[in-house]
Amino acid sequence: MFDWEDTAFGEEITYSTFGCDVFKADPQTPDRLEPDVHIYREGAEKLDRIAPDGRRIRFWTFRDTDPAAPNQRVTHPAPEIRVTQGQIVHTHLTTSTGPHTIHHHGIEPTTANDGVGHVSFEVGDGYTYQWQPARAGSFFYHCHRNTALHFELGMWGPLIVEAPDQGDGKKRLYEDGPTYDSEMTWVAHAVDPRWHLIQDHDAGLCGLDVGLNRYEPKYFMLSGVWGNRAHYDPTTLIKAQVGERVLIRLLNASYTILRVKFTCPIEIVAADGHSWGRETWCPTTRRVPANTVLELVTAQRYDIIVEPTKTGHFPVFMQFRHWITNKVHDNGKGQLKAKVRVT
Amino acid sequence: MKRRRFLQLSAVGGTIATIGLSPTPSRANSTTTETNFELTIAPANAEMIDGTMVYTLQYFHGFDNPSPEMRVREGKQITVTVTNNDSQPHGFIIRGVAGSYIHTMQPGQTGTTTFTAPNGGTYLYLDHYKGQLNRLMGLHGAFIVEPEGDGKTPAGSETPYSVADHNPQLQALFDAFGNHPRFPGDRWRAGDLRREKLWIFSQVDPTLNERVAAGELVDPASIPDNFLPRYFTINGLSGFDTANHHLEDGNAAHDGRAGRIMPSGKQGEPCLLRCINAGLATHACHIHGNHCFELARSDYKFRTEISSNIYEHDTWELLPLQRAELLLPFERPPDIPLDRWPPVEEPFPLRYVMHCHFELSQTAGGGNYPQGAVTHWQMTDPL
Ligand SMILES: [Cu+2]
Ligand SMILES: [Cu+2]
Repeated sequence: MFDWEDTAFGEEITYSTFGCDVFKADPQTPDRLEPDVHIYREGAEKLDRIAPDGRRIRFWTFRDTDPAAPNQRVTHPAPEIRVTQGQIVHTHLTTSTGPHTIHHHGIEPTTANDGVGHVSFEVGDGYTYQWQPARAGSFFYHCHRNTALHFELGMWGPLIVEAPDQGDGKKRLYEDGPTYDSEMTWVAHAVDPRWHLIQDHDAGLCGLDVGLNRYEPKYFMLSGVWGNRAHYDPTTLIKAQVGERVLIRLLNASYTILRVKFTCPIEIVAADGHSWGRETWCPTTRRVPANTVLELVTAQRYDIIVEPTKTGHFPVFMQFRHWITNKVHDNGKGQLKAKVRVT
Repeated sequence: MKRRRFLQLSAVGGTIATIGLSPTPSRANSTTTETNFELTIAPANAEMIDGTMVYTLQYFHGFDNPSPEMRVREGKQITVTVTNNDSQPHGFIIRGVAGSYIHTMQPGQTGTTTFTAPNGGTYLYLDHYKGQLNRLMGLHGAFIVEPEGDGKTPAGSETPYSVADHNPQLQALFDAFGNHPRFPGDRWRAGDLRREKLWIFSQVDPTLNERVAAGELVDPASIPDNFLPRYFTINGLSGFDTANHHLEDGNAAHDGRAGRIMPSGKQGEPCLLRCINAGLATHACHIHGNHCFELARSDYKFRTEISSNIYEHDTWELLPLQRAELLLPFERPPDIPLDRWPPVEEPFPLRYVMHCHFELSQTAGGGNYPQGAVTHWQMTDPL
């Protein structure tokens, strides 16, 4: 018999196991296979960063603890996970401060490997999540404990599933899918500094009002880069040549309605890690003219191909809007500019 | 932590009913359509997930059925009669349904309308009087239209849409179930509540409800800038209450108010998700376990647009007043290793959450994660 003690599989689900006394366990991985690839993450690691206005902001993140590449530094956002379609993947989570989980968002494994505590368990010391990505595409991963808080504080990173090599030297978003020469991951996210003063991992879980229904972000970021630098920082600046095909993996990781306006034409070839234009019920991709506004709510992703036909600077404008009033956050300052520079 | 108290459905102060978790009688799984609906508008105290009591307004069908689901068949003559038993004027309209409007009813008055049921789909009825105010107070519900002849494709697959609205992509998808290597198992089944669930999202800011309870005449234009919801509901329920737990036999999964929310079935039993946002906050519905096919969504004029390019999403937007219909395929969760399907050490049912990814909506009373707009679906057996 497999040992499911202290998990939703072995115990009764009650009102209090839902949130306040959620299941905490470190079971063996059920139905374990020999993995093709190991991913190591430890959380929550704390990282203080200085905002452009000089304010110190504490972020929480996951650290890569791969024993084959020791002493990796702590980064925010958390380091990317990159695997290939069809690999058996083992994500080893260890926790340094209280229970956490990893939910591979958009990846669909068994319940025990899905990282949601109230229907399975949260990880006390360590657990190995097993999954085998069936589709290539753009996903992300994040902690699913007290998620409102842990996700906003930074416990997330990109998750890319690459298509298998088709032997012709071309990179493809997915098998037989669109080719690309270079790629960029753009994740829009925001910071409400009030939230970052909360140090209690369990804040609010047992009934205390800690104001997690109120979100007033003051900093707006792109893939870990402060918004004011996003259009030139090497992390986020897209440099392309005429005729080159750039894949942009776009994700909204903020609790805001994100509006994105490209000033060059684009083609959307996938959403949420699933391809467009390949099935009879979804026969086409979507060509979007320059200056069209796209809207993404939290966790939505688009995979976008940009194929510049002329040189120049093509700014990409992002606006972070309030989920109720639809006004631009921070009295209109909730914006940033990214850029595609074509030479 | 103390579980909030269960209250009986009881009259308070002679006139105000209480909506608690009184057991709703279980019912047959086949749908029933009607043509005649008599509703009353009355105040009711609703208990939030943390035990807080909130004053609300409800359309009642009979004494103990608040915010009733109205279900009709395409093309039928439908009559809706509403009696206003509240102390303020109220109205009635089904957004996107011609002829459904009932003019403002003063306290004690009754209004009525007769109209032809439109094409198959999911609609939202509400009180339009004073803009969004009364909708947020609880005066809203679902109006569901079943298509004539179960909306069959030429190949004979049932769909939730009238044949006149079909397109080849929609038909291809419904024909794929049970016939495509990716979707072994059954087709989608019309008229079966095990194959369609209803998710009406809303939000509650108790300060607004208190002002209405105190008799204040709230200016609806002032609401959005001050609306700070503390409770996030699906069909009026939150968190733990949105799913049936401790199931001994499969059928009980579909019983009661939680059973109307929580999809449950075997691999290969696709389920329609009728999503409506009756609140003021935009939602980002996110589902685990399977991506969903986005079949249709309403536009800014409340018209239903059936997709001619059906996308698979794990997250979909739901604007205030918007309706969207998605199909949860109940396919083998694709990223379980093929060599370990079906799992042996890990037991069925496999359970996967659905929650709004604006995680603020996962709170209740400012904390209490995840007692907000969350539920889960379960796959009870492999094929
Ligand atoms: Cu997520
Ligand atoms: Cu989730």
